[in-house]
Amino acid sequence: MTDVKTEAEPVEAGGRRERPKVGLADRDGFLAWVMLLPSVVYIIALVGIPFLLAIAFAFSDVTTGDPSFDFVGFANFGDVFDDRVFWRSLRNTLVFTVISMLLIVVFGKILANILVADFRGKWFVRFLVLLPWTTPVALSTVSWLWFLDSIFSPVDWVLRNVGLIDANVVWLGQPGTAMASVIAVHVWRLTPLAAVIVMAGLIAIPKDLDEAARIDGAGFWRRMFEVTIPLTMPVIAVAALFGAILTFTDMTVPYVLTRGGPTHSTDVLASWAYFRGIEGGDVGQGAAIALFLFPLLLAAAVAILRAVRRLEAR
Amino acid sequence: MADRLTPDSPRTPVPPGLDALRGGTTPHSSRAGSAGLDRRGFLASSALAAGAYGLLAGCASESSGPQAKGSGEAPKEVFTSPATKLSGSLSILMWSHFVPRHDTWFDKFVADWGKKVGVDVRVDHVNTVDVPRRAASEIQAKRGHDLIQHIAPLSQYEPSVLDMADVVQEANKRWGQQQELCRKSSYNPNTEKFYAYCPGWTPDPGDFRRSMWQKVGMPNGPASWDDLLRGASEIKKQTGVPCGIGLSPETDSNMAARALLWSFGGSVQDENEQVAINSDATIAAVEYMTRLFKEAETSEVFSWNPASNNQALIAGKSSYILNSISAWRTAMSTNREIGDDIFFVPALRGPKAALAAQHVIQQWIVPTYAGNADAAKEFLLHYTANFPAVTYHSEMYDLPAWPSLVPQLNGWLDDDPWGAKPANKLSFLKDSVSWSANIGYPGPSNPAVGETFNTHVLPTMFGRAARGQASPKDAVAEAEESIKKIFDNWRSRGLIGG
Repeated sequence: MTDVKTEAEPVEAGGRRERPKVGLADRDGFLAWVMLLPSVVYIIALVGIPFLLAIAFAFSDVTTGDPSFDFVGFANFGDVFDDRVFWRSLRNTLVFTVISMLLIVVFGKILANILVADFRGKWFVRFLVLLPWTTPVALSTVSWLWFLDSIFSPVDWVLRNVGLIDANVVWLGQPGTAMASVIAVHVWRLTPLAAVIVMAGLIAIPKDLDEAARIDGAGFWRRMFEVTIPLTMPVIAVAALFGAILTFTDMTVPYVLTRGGPTHSTDVLASWAYFRGIEGGDVGQGAAIALFLFPLLLAAAVAILRAVRRLEAR
Repeated sequence: MADRLTPDSPRTPVPPGLDALRGGTTPHSSRAGSAGLDRRGFLASSALAAGAYGLLAGCASESSGPQAKGSGEAPKEVFTSPATKLSGSLSILMWSHFVPRHDTWFDKFVADWGKKVGVDVRVDHVNTVDVPRRAASEIQAKRGHDLIQHIAPLSQYEPSVLDMADVVQEANKRWGQQQELCRKSSYNPNTEKFYAYCPGWTPDPGDFRRSMWQKVGMPNGPASWDDLLRGASEIKKQTGVPCGIGLSPETDSNMAARALLWSFGGSVQDENEQVAINSDATIAAVEYMTRLFKEAETSEVFSWNPASNNQALIAGKSSYILNSISAWRTAMSTNREIGDDIFFVPALRGPKAALAAQHVIQQWIVPTYAGNADAAKEFLLHYTANFPAVTYHSEMYDLPAWPSLVPQLNGWLDDDPWGAKPANKLSFLKDSVSWSANIGYPGPSNPAVGETFNTHVLPTMFGRAARGQASPKDAVAEAEESIKKIFDNWRSRGLIGG
């Protein structure tokens, strides 16, 4: 006969049952913190500390050549507000952000609709659509710099050859076309991100809702405006928020394409902060300009997130 | 710490095409190889190199460059033992020269010196536009390279760098008086400190396509700003090819703005560092630029980066530009016929003067945190003593701050070792110091002048008037408002006089 071992919970000498040992890995609360820690460290090190540093610099006389800190109160802000280029940059930033955000959302929604449709080669098309977002921004913008070159622009070459223009447009040499170019490149770059966000919302819509609308005789546009868009509005708002924040804080596209020209017509707050703070050497004033982005961004983020919550509550 | 750089160190062979791309943001170290390059590194390097190439191709790139006529012409290098025993390491941050041949020579040169004096030397070449931001971050962090070189005044770093007066004094003792424009670009008379050491500079002449100017009866190009307006307007009328004086926020446009301003008798500041921009002379210069833009240019000059005017000249899309000789050297290596059609004129004559800004001014600074300042200073004296080799290997791009150092210069300019056709094409550079000035002219190149330069106040002033966005008078008044604030700010820090 073989001994049959029955697994009984160990009993201590005193007759009490011994509890199974719970390791750190079994504790949800501990694990949650461990998982979050890299993100928290990252945010503190690369966002929190630089942000606090920027606040400190904005109230100081620090220059690129003199890191010693002397408190100057609101003097940098006073100087910045007296600078006509600052106000021009603020206006440009708002124009750049509002138009870009609208176009990013509209094109993102259209693109998302295409990407959720079933067709042969869908995965390849999705790959192509995501390319502008995944390409390093400096590289893609330098490519656009060539596309829009005053002399060698392939865009102009095509337009000339199809008879739409007689001479090169000089996209980056005139205030209107320069701003339009900066916006176009930015929209081209960020639309895939918005499309992916909206696509996630579209996929989450129960199919029976759409089918019910079809059975009730709703056409494409009616389903779009009365079913799809209302249901994906919170996601669209998130896409708009991302678009706004990434546009508002961007300086790469204007810096590489135009360096803020012609005559400051494409300078945005971020690029002007860089020109004053790093290239000009006055870190204090540069920080004051950069800091001006924060309350505007905060207000925009709060407004959009409140709108999302209201939509979700309906 | 840095590895020792020796002439025998294995170096990764660089294909000629890639050599021209050295101006990338990623520093290339003279001791670094590519053995550990991973895919991400390769992609990032390629992206950044492509970007840098796009921006600086015209200024920077000779893929292989012209060959010297005779192999035995390179000047012999000299060596003087350091005054004190040196040891330790020395790290150098410097630009990737627009003439790649210079860096090939320099890396070996510095390695040889390190070997002789017992110092481990490391050289990091970066794109010139990245030097100020690297310098700024290193100075903020109080650690980094022992010696930093840039091609524009670094006066704003004065509080955090060593006084180079002892090096300048020693150089003056050995080789005579330093050129005034070099001294004014490295010395602060207000604090009596040499915030930088300036052993060399590069002039900024006018470059023109002879075949175009021949058609309007000016085969030797313009001699005055009036000639330029007349000739360039006629060329544009006849051939549709515009003039290429830039009006965009970039270096060459800034240089051109100063040349025009000074030639009309205006200036940003006077010799006592007081703002002097708002004058009848400045308004006259702005009025002139407005006419030049309307009659001889197109909007493309508002969109240019530092490489654009070079590219336009070489492509036959500009009749005249203001730039160094690098555009021509580039053409010499890529299309000899075009290179032979490019000629030069000295600074154009205006109503009051004939002056041009220096194109490049060498600035070497030793931050206060530097661990081996003695080695840095000794190296600078050794580098200066060998300026004939600097001028030669930069293909006449770098000219000496101490003229007695390069007695062969006039001979080279009369008979270009790199194959100019005609051989004396560069002989006009013999008196280039007489028509060149530092960017702070008639005062020194102080931090306020630097910030005015880097925030592009002058191209904006000329550009707004040229576009009709403001009258010349209003454009000058706006510029004065901006410049006064910049000067007040730096004056309050005690870095400029008055």
